[in-house]
Amino acid sequence: MSSNNNIDATVRISGLDKHFGPETAVLDFNILIEQGEFVTLLGPSGCGKTTTLRCVAGLERPDGGDIFIGDQLVASYEQDVYLNPEDRNIGMVFQSYAVWPHMTVFDNVAYGLRVRRAGKSEIKKRTMRALELVGLDHLADRYATKLSGGQRQRVALARAIVYEPRVILFDEPLSNLDAKLREQMRDEIVRLQKEVGITSIFVTHDQSEALVMSDRVVVMDKAVIQQVGDPQDIYANPANAFVANFIGVTSLLKGRVIGHSNSIYDIELPSIIGGEPLRLRATGETGIGEESEVHVSLRPEDVTLNTDKPSDAENLNLLEGKVIDTVYLGSFLECRVDVKGHEINIQIDHFENLSRDQTVFLTFRAEHALCLAN
Amino acid sequence: MTSETYDTDPRPSRMSNRFRALWTQENVITIIVSAIVAIAVVLPLITLVVSSFLVLDDLGFSTEWSFGNYVTIVTDPIIPKAFLNTLIICSGCTVLATFLGVSLAWTNARTNCPGRTWLEPFNLIPFFLSPFIGAIAWHNMGEPKTGLLNNFFRDIFGIEGHVINIDNIWGVIWVTGIFFAPLVYLFVVGSLRRMDPSLEDSARTTGAGLFRTTMTVTLPLVMPGILSGAIIVFVTSAGEFGVPFKLSAPYGWETLTTQIFTKAVGDDANHYLGATMAMALGAITVFLIWIQRRYIAPRSFETVTGKGFRPNVLDLGSWKWVAFGYNILFILVAVILPIISLLIVSLHPVWQGTIMLDKITGINYVKTLFFWREESIDAATNGIFNSLFLAFVGASISMVLALVVSYMIHRTKGFGSWLLDFLCVVPIGFPGIVLAMGVLVTYIQTPIYATLWILLLGYITRFFPYGQRNIASILLSISEELDQSSRMAGATWVTTMRRITIPLLKPGIFAGWILLFVIFVRELSISIMLYTDGTETLAVGVYYLTNYENEPLTAALSLAQTLLCLICMIAFRRLAGKEALSA
Ligand SMILES: Nc1ncnc2c1ncn2[C@@H]1O[C@H](COP(=O)(O)OP(=O)(O)OP(=O)(O)O)[C@@H](O)[C@H]1O
Ligand SMILES: [Mg+2]
Repeated sequence: MSSNNNIDATVRISGLDKHFGPETAVLDFNILIEQGEFVTLLGPSGCGKTTTLRCVAGLERPDGGDIFIGDQLVASYEQDVYLNPEDRNIGMVFQSYAVWPHMTVFDNVAYGLRVRRAGKSEIKKRTMRALELVGLDHLADRYATKLSGGQRQRVALARAIVYEPRVILFDEPLSNLDAKLREQMRDEIVRLQKEVGITSIFVTHDQSEALVMSDRVVVMDKAVIQQVGDPQDIYANPANAFVANFIGVTSLLKGRVIGHSNSIYDIELPSIIGGEPLRLRATGETGIGEESEVHVSLRPEDVTLNTDKPSDAENLNLLEGKVIDTVYLGSFLECRVDVKGHEINIQIDHFENLSRDQTVFLTFRAEHALCLAN
Repeated sequence: MTSETYDTDPRPSRMSNRFRALWTQENVITIIVSAIVAIAVVLPLITLVVSSFLVLDDLGFSTEWSFGNYVTIVTDPIIPKAFLNTLIICSGCTVLATFLGVSLAWTNARTNCPGRTWLEPFNLIPFFLSPFIGAIAWHNMGEPKTGLLNNFFRDIFGIEGHVINIDNIWGVIWVTGIFFAPLVYLFVVGSLRRMDPSLEDSARTTGAGLFRTTMTVTLPLVMPGILSGAIIVFVTSAGEFGVPFKLSAPYGWETLTTQIFTKAVGDDANHYLGATMAMALGAITVFLIWIQRRYIAPRSFETVTGKGFRPNVLDLGSWKWVAFGYNILFILVAVILPIISLLIVSLHPVWQGTIMLDKITGINYVKTLFFWREESIDAATNGIFNSLFLAFVGASISMVLALVVSYMIHRTKGFGSWLLDFLCVVPIGFPGIVLAMGVLVTYIQTPIYATLWILLLGYITRFFPYGQRNIASILLSISEELDQSSRMAGATWVTTMRRITIPLLKPGIFAGWILLFVIFVRELSISIMLYTDGTETLAVGVYYLTNYENEPLTAALSLAQTLLCLICMIAFRRLAGKEALSA
């Protein structure tokens, strides 16, 4: 299955809005997806990922904005353009597989080719090739009802790529599979996508899926894009507290800027239990004003836990706290520490005997504490 | 028993324990109920088979054993034609009802047809009304000379002659088709409504248009439901007596049911020949029902995923108004026009095909409904009393039976429950007129013949499975652990039934009761076989009026029956909810 290099398969969405009655499902969604790119829409349940995808598919009519696939305008509210899904030449894989139970595996996959009036021998050739790609050629004659979940999802995948659509859309295709299978299918989809070179939009609410699979991640919350970037970028430089919290595990501390030099900020954290406020230094984008309320994001793996007060900590942030509890997570230990009412998560790989309420000292570098404007 | 014998030979003790274990409340009740059901269902059928091999001699006095009756039904000048007519009617009715039922269910469940939620109850109204009354109403509209519609077309468009003639085999197909459409509707609407929309969405994104998606994905997915509905319609129309009796038999198109009827009563009655025809009809319907239950019902596709799907429907664009108009048209021809025509006709002293406002009178209602007045017609007023009695008592007994039987089948699951399950299917396979023929030949020499009790027996035997299915579906959805916990807490089986199971099933029991009440209020084909003077039912009253009195009187009683059915329908929907009847 060769990629259609001569066909322009970019996806451009500008100003997309979608409302359901009083509810806003998508608001001012903008993105340009390159040909062959794998883009993930990531966000909590109900944030509008599926709705966005369905607008691209033509299963939902936008209430504002334009959608281009290649240089073809497929939907535009302002110009009153709306192409039916069958006229957009896309492929889509659904969360519920949606494999037709009244057809065999072969007929399921061949459907798109038959609709396109391909010749008999070509249908056979291309269908079998697509089935080979997903490793199901030996089950071609089986009825779809007699397949396992993973096999069904493979059929759905083969069905969506067999006619070489311009774009393929995935709506949480892995969420009905169990953990082991999910990982395996995840890798398989990535391999297939690279092999076929097809532009892909993948919806998920599982951040690890998004980080592993994508060229770029679009983080959404409450119908609005929060950040677009490649996985490392999003993990390392979250644009705001929501993204920091949603991607990976992080501790968010509420504080106030009291001074800065370039991108290093001095931040005061109020003591929630009373007494002296805490001070620390964090890195952030330039331009955050003095006195503004901020969040400081700390990744668990960036914080060092010491049982004795360290002596060589002049250049580091140092906080004193009490152990709340610890949890073994196989290869490492996760520890929650209370610092004057703020809770900080720490990941430790050397096993210490920590007891509840034991006093500990946390150190971390200013570069690892991210200052995020609200 | 000493401890010594216990130790050395425990066997007798274990045996008696085992015997005692069988002797439980529930097993005793199962056995009694099974026996009652078995006798009620099996006896008439056995007698039917036996009678079909008895040939009456020319004088009509003595009988001898032979296959003569079977030869007769093939060689008789009328019966083979009646067979053929029945076949044509069933096929036509099945095609029409399936088309109407599927298309209405599809527009209501899967498209954005305007008003689809409030249209549904109206689409289902014919399910609760009597097709016999429908035939009477359509006769009033479509009779060539005096039909209201024909007169209307003559007046408005100045057409000579007539536009429609309902009094033939096509008329029978038309009326049964529109009246049985809800049967198919109910078989498919549930699965259409619950279908995971991404099954259709993926056809769309794969490149199929709306029409192709519907034809290759939506309809094939509900095909088992469509086939089931079609078979039920075929079987029901094969057993339909009232419509061909009113519309085709008087004009030369006899059917099997009208032939069976003439062999049961009247001058050239021949119960043995009637039984043979009933056997032939019953064999076909039972075979079809068996096919449906064995091969078609189990094939239905699981199309519900339950995960993350949205209630979205197909956008028909401006076609949605076509769908809306189509739906309204159905309600018009199936419900509104028939009722209006009955009303119009019933208000005239005699009916000559034109509305005469100066002659409008209520006398027909006085004669048919006001039993205390001298001019009232006995057949009609008796019918009202008898039908209300039969419906009330019949529905009550049926539901008790249905409750016990459902419990035996789905909870006790031991001793004889498979037999009960089988016995509950059998009556569904036999048209009412066939079963009534069996009941007639079985009990003709007993004292219950010519009483209301034989009607009651026929009604219950034929229709209690409907109530049983109603209860069973709810019973299956209630966790067994609820009544097991009651037993665990120390309650006996009877107490558990009374305190736990029955209260949980209450809505289902009431809904089933009303359903049976409606069925009994409009029942014709059993009643017509088993009634005598004084035990007329409502439908028999209508039959009497249409045969021996005039159209306006018939229309008045018909309308009264229709009204009663409509009230029951509203009560049923209140109690059972919207999804109650769908498969
Ligand atoms: N057909 C609909 N009618 C009404 N509201 C809808 C419809 N579809 C979606 N919504 C609403 O729009 C919002 C966004 O829904 P959407 O399905 O896009 O979320 P999502 O990000 O895909 O969530 P999930 O991860 O749970 O699938 C939700 O609040 C949802 O309730
Ligand atoms: Mg979703």
